[in-house]
Order: sequence, then structure tokens, then C-alpha cells
Amino acid sequence: MSSKVSHLFSWSKVLFEDSFEKVGIFADSYLRQKASRLHEETGVSFESKEKSLKIFYHLLGGDKAKELHITDKRFIETSRTLLEKFSGKGKSFFLAWQDEKALYFPATLSYFDDKELNDMHYYWLCAMLSQVNLQSSNIMTENARAAAFLIKKYPGFQDFYKQAKNLLLQNYPELSYIDSSQSEVLLDDKSYPNPLWIYPCISTNAKLLDFNDEEEMGREDGKKDKTEELKMKKKANQIDDEKETDGLLLFLPESLMSFMEQVNVDRQENDSFDEDALYNAADLDEITLGKKDANLSSRVKMDLDISSREVEDYPLGDGFLRDEWDYKKGIYLKKYVRIYPQVAINVEPIPLPKRLNAMMRRIQSELDLMELDRIKIDNLPYGDEINFDAWIEYRGHQNRSNHPQRFFQSFEKKTRDISTLLLADISLSTEAGVTQDIRVIDMIKDSLMVFSESLHRLEDSFGIYAFSSIKNKKVNFHIVKNFKEKYGELARGRIEVLKPGYYTRLGAAVRESGKILQKQQSQNRLLLILSDGKPNDTDRYDGRYGIEDTKKAIDEVRQMGITPFCITIDVEAREYLPYLFGRNSYAVIRDAKKLPKVLTEIYMNLTK
Amino acid sequence: MSSYYLPQANEVELFEAAAGMNLPVLIKGPTGCGKTRFIETMGEKLDREVYTVVCHDDLSAADLVGRHLIDENGTYWQDGPLTKAVRNGGICYLDEIIEARKDTTVVLHSLADYRRVLPIDRTGELIEAHPDFMLVVSYNPGYQNVLKGMKPSTKQRFISLSFTYPKPEIEKEVILKESGVDEPTAQKLVNIAGEIRQLSDSDIQEAVSTRLLIYAAKLMVKGFDPYEACMHSIVESLSDEEDVLEVLRKLISLHFSKAE
Repeated sequence: MSSKVSHLFSWSKVLFEDSFEKVGIFADSYLRQKASRLHEETGVSFESKEKSLKIFYHLLGGDKAKELHITDKRFIETSRTLLEKFSGKGKSFFLAWQDEKALYFPATLSYFDDKELNDMHYYWLCAMLSQVNLQSSNIMTENARAAAFLIKKYPGFQDFYKQAKNLLLQNYPELSYIDSSQSEVLLDDKSYPNPLWIYPCISTNAKLLDFNDEEEMGREDGKKDKTEELKMKKKANQIDDEKETDGLLLFLPESLMSFMEQVNVDRQENDSFDEDALYNAADLDEITLGKKDANLSSRVKMDLDISSREVEDYPLGDGFLRDEWDYKKGIYLKKYVRIYPQVAINVEPIPLPKRLNAMMRRIQSELDLMELDRIKIDNLPYGDEINFDAWIEYRGHQNRSNHPQRFFQSFEKKTRDISTLLLADISLSTEAGVTQDIRVIDMIKDSLMVFSESLHRLEDSFGIYAFSSIKNKKVNFHIVKNFKEKYGELARGRIEVLKPGYYTRLGAAVRESGKILQKQQSQNRLLLILSDGKPNDTDRYDGRYGIEDTKKAIDEVRQMGITPFCITIDVEAREYLPYLFGRNSYAVIRDAKKLPKVLTEIYMNLTK
Repeated sequence: MSSYYLPQANEVELFEAAAGMNLPVLIKGPTGCGKTRFIETMGEKLDREVYTVVCHDDLSAADLVGRHLIDENGTYWQDGPLTKAVRNGGICYLDEIIEARKDTTVVLHSLADYRRVLPIDRTGELIEAHPDFMLVVSYNPGYQNVLKGMKPSTKQRFISLSFTYPKPEIEKEVILKESGVDEPTAQKLVNIAGEIRQLSDSDIQEAVSTRLLIYAAKLMVKGFDPYEACMHSIVESLSDEEDVLEVLRKLISLHFSKAE
């Protein structure tokens, strides 16, 4: 087994678990308990605070696109008491930190034997995170500055800080350095990390390769660690190691203050034991994989995701170039994305599939109810009710013989003045299975059919489009039914031949849809987006960039007087949809099988 | 007593100019930012009576224009608030106009452009607007839903003023003047408001209004503990969701330590 460890010469040295841990679980946990200077009984968990902390972070002006996560332990060498040494406790810490995408908090905080203080501790860290500059290289001065600011501004924090500092110093004499306000204090190996501080990002220089599917990671590693079951953030940190530097390349001035370790892991021999490094994924905050090939990450992604199916889609011209929003630069990249409108040809017209008949019957009863929602029509010669106003007016009229004598009112159905564009995401992720034989795309197709059928019966004006993207070079914009075309068997045929492929450049598709909707004459224009996940593409259109561009596109569409609404089956969507669409303009559907029915119901509710 | 209004920008000049040119005014802005107070003040300033109509979805044209009523002598015509203002001069202020049905607001069209006339079908009258008649409408852009909104043809007849919450210095000034609270407390209230207004729609439905800040300050002047005052005037009014309430309570406790 090849197991190399490279130490970093930062003030806090990186250290790996030694063999003391191999004592057996019971003894281990007993010793840990014994050695603990924490107060687990009054501890507060991140889980119970997550939502509040997020709002609190926004309150303090924090970036709304950032997510909140639990941090892994970080290894810091400190001097330990003998008992701590035996129990393995005291050298790994849960510290608060942040990167460009998220804030990371300890899973629990229990430094104080007062629940309120531990609770406040979370708020303090959150406030500190909103103040500390991510780029700052000197954590001492930066933390001191942020703390001083918070203490000055909030009397509540002033009380907390005073109290917390005193209690911490009682329990952790190693923390004495926090009392000296000089930023030049030298931190030696004996220093404990300060629980009131924000620590630098694990890696600011290396590219982050995100393993989004944390749960699967956990299973792979066979770890049943409880903290891991809580949403734990695993990152593989790619480090350029082309020159076989034994990780010494990391010893850059910029990384001096960061905790970083590099292990070349031999995955085949996971269980083999090495006295230098015990590979323990649950305790490693970052698994750094030595990178030998610059294109590795993109190649892996390509192999995983791209399908190369033939599509019988007929391109309508060479496409249009559209702008895209670059949040980092704060400008539009002019004519950056090419949109290819296309329509499926040689499509066989089909009737409504039999499997949908039962559902359509159920929906029909709801459609009938919609029709009850009628509008009042006044001044009729006969009708449902007497209109007293009309009658009084007649009584007061100077020349009654000339009066039209229309004393009734009725409630009648009137064509609804609304145009709806349904935009469906058919990226490759919709190939995923809902059950053994049903895929997400199948549910999307059924939804489109039921939806069109319902709107057709309501006589509402609508269009249906689907999209997928391959970088900014090609955003496939499939026309399933445009606004002018009559809905019928051909449109159903086009729905049936939709195939999953490629990625989700949502911003571009939203802009294009906005342009189409803008041309509709209706008073009310609704853009319904059917999606299964975050905006993403293989280029930088991933994470924050994609979110920000989509947000911008949504805002543009709103400016046009169009109402956007998103329906998704992505259960994680609550983390980003409120930011994109606002609180009342999205719906998350947990069970994809319900999508066809719910989509139509949502539409009816929206337009009641 | 004349009402107190501290201008945020050039809205007073704009309003006066619009009044001078017989142009109608549209005011957009979130709740409690001073729209109604502004109009009252302008009414006093221009010496015109203000007829306020709060719009709702069942508001009919007759509610604005007037209707026939019956008494012992038979039927008689009763002018609505709009007709009164048109006849006698004055400011007719339609609050939350998008709440009204769109066909209702169409009666405003002939009043809101150069014609300045109000036709009353029921009596066959065509009233030419008094020289001092002025039409003002307002709405809160935050409330719109899919099928509600202002017709562009209505919207495009107005001089538009967009109100937001006042700048911190102005807001502090307003709180001081309205409540009589001391300056550091007013400053704290403004800071709290600034932070709450950072929240987006996804966190909270609508941010704290200047009105609520004034309520808080007034409670404090009455002798309530600042934390309690904020709790009852600001926190509980803004949300019913436990998470949001918890954070807001925490925020208040950070600014005003809880009474021992």
C-alpha cells in the first residue's frame, strides 16, 4: 500500500490518527467521555439550528446563494493530556469555516454547560462568518477585527463574548492566546484552535471536485458514522501533482494558513494498515487525490453523463446567439450562448395513451369545478339573479320608457385571458429511474400530455417546449407545440419522442421562453418550468455561476411582466429555488409519479 | 394639526409639478413606507381635500362613481368618492389599486388623460373635472399574483413615484419625531430594520415597515422594555413561522439585551 503523508508547516500541523485508537470501541468511547471537556448534555445540534442560522446569515447581509453544511473534523496537533492521548480525543476539532459556495458549522456545539450559550455560540459563528473576509490571509487579525466589530455593534454579542471567553479560558488554559489582543501572537503547537473563530477555507487554491451525492459516498466507504448520516460534505480536493512533488508543492505561501493534507490512497487495499497513516475517511475532512492528468475531471464527467443517441430533430436555422450573465464579472457575456430551436420530424401522431385515461377522468372533474368559477355578467334581460342596482337605477330613471329594463345578472364562463408556456428540462438526469421500469423522463412526458390535454379542454392558450444543453455552444430548444399550433395527435407524438440528453443550461432556456411569451397578446403570461435539478452544464455553468445566471434570467422574464413558476422533483431544491423564484413561486414534488396530476393541479390553482 | 412628512428625495416637487400640470400620479411601494402619509401631507400642502378609497376585489365602478339609493321619497343619486372629488376638486386617492377588478379601473381612463372628464352612464352626465381635481393611485408591487396586476393601459397614464423604505438617517429622523424616543434607541431600531430588510422573499413575506418601527419606539416611550416593545411591534407582526421568529428574537436580543 502506498501511503504518503505530507506535513504542512503551518502553525497547526497536520497529523493522522495513530494506533491508540485501535483499542476497541467500548474502551474508546469510555475514555472519550472521561476525557471530554465538553458538555454534551447541554449541547445544541446544527440540525436544529440550520434554518434559523440561514435566515440569520441573510439578516446580516450574507450571500443568499450560499448553503449551510456540517463540517468534518480537522486535525490539528496540540499538546494533549495523557488521558486524551489514550482516547484519541483533543486533537481533531470541528471548526467553523467557509468557502465560496457554503458555510460549514460543527455538527454540535457543547463547549458550555448552558444551552443558551451553546445556542448563542452558533449565532456568533454565523455572524463571524458574515464578517470575516474569505480571502484574508491572516486569520488572527481578521478574526480579531470581525469580533471587535460584532461586539461593538451588538450588546448581546458583547455579553456573550465576555462570558464565553471566560468560560473557555477556565476550561482550556491552552486558549490563553485569545486574551492577548495583539495579532502578532505566535501560535505554537500547544495552542488550541479557538472555537469562537472562523478558520480559513480548507483549500483556496486547489480546484474543488464536488461529490454531490454524499449519501452514496458514505455507503461506499462503509462508514456508519452518525455525523456522516447528517448531511456531511465530502470533498475530493484535486491538487496538481504532475511533478510528483510528494505534496510539497502545497507548501506555498498562500496555503500556509490552511489545513491541508494529501494522501495518495491505494483504494484496492483499503484495509491495509500503515503506521504512518491510518486511512480513515470519516475523520479526514478532505480527501486529496493526487492528480496526474489535467483533464481527468472533465473526462470522468463526460464518460458518465453524455449519451450519443441519434435524434430525429430537425434544426430550424442556425440558431440564435443570446447573452448570459457572469456574476463574477457582473456583466452580460454578449451573444455567448447559441440556442438551436428544433422540431422533431417524422413523428407519428398518437392518441392519448390509454394509461392516462383514468387520470384524465379524475382531472376532468376538477376542470369542471374550474368552470364553476365564473364571472358575473350584469344587466341581462333574464338570468340567475335579480340585480338590485339595475332595478333601483330603473326606478330612479327620468324617462322609464326608454330604459332597457335589464334587471338580471348571471355567472358565466368567460375565456381566461392567459398564455402559458411550459418549459421541460429533458437533460440526461431525467434518465434516472423513479421505479424499476419508470424513468423521470417518462413522468415528464406523461405530465406534458395530461397538462396539454387539460389546457386544451380549458381552452387556455399554451405552448410546450423542452430543452437540454451542451455548454454554451448548443442549447437544444425543442418545439413540442407552439402557441399557434392546435393541440392534437401530432403534438402528443412529439411529446412521446422526447429523449433525455446532455445538461441543463436553464438561464438560456428561460430567456428564450421569455422571448416567445412576450409575443403573446394575453393579459397574463405564465412561464411554468418543469425541472429535476439544479442548473448545470459541463463548463463553468455549475453551482453558483449557473444559479446566478438563472436568477438573472428569471428576473428579466419578470421584468417583461411574465410570471415564472417552477415545479421540481429535486428534493434538495428548497435550498436554491427560493433564491431563484421567491417563496411563493415554486413547488417541490417528492414523488415523481404524482407529477402529471400535480402539475395540472398547480396550474389550476395558479390561475383560479 | 398638520401631519409630519420628511421627504426621501424629490417626491414633493414632483407631486407639486404633477398637480400643477393636472397629471395623475401613481405611487408604488411596500407597506408602511409612508405612501398614505405623503398624500395626506400633499393634500394639506396643496390645500385640497383627500378622498381615500381602499380598493378590494369586489369594488365596482358604482362604488367609485356613485349609485342610486332609495329613501322615503323614492330614488336619489348618491355621488361616489371619485365623483365628489371630480365635482368639487380634491385628491382622489385609490389605495392598493391592483386589488380592484381590472374592469373597474377602466372608469379612470378618461380622467387620467388630457380629457379629464368623468362620464356617468347611469345619469347620462358628463362631468368635467374641477381644476383642483387630482387622481392618485398606489399599489404594492410585492403582492402581485398571476392573474392580478395593473393593465398597462392604465399604468401608462400616470407620473410614477417609486417609494422604498426611507434612508437610515431619514428613517431615524422620522422615528424621533413621531415617537419622541431618544436618539441611540432610534438608531438601534433603524439598524434592526436595515438587517431585517436584507432578507429576501424566501425568508420573510415582507420586511419591517417604518410604521412598525414607530410603534416599537412609541411602546418604549410608554415605558415598555425595549426588547418587549420590539417583540410585540416588530417580531410578532412580521412572521408566524417559528424559525423566522427565533432568528428575529435573537436579533432583537443582540441589539437590546433582555431585561434581567
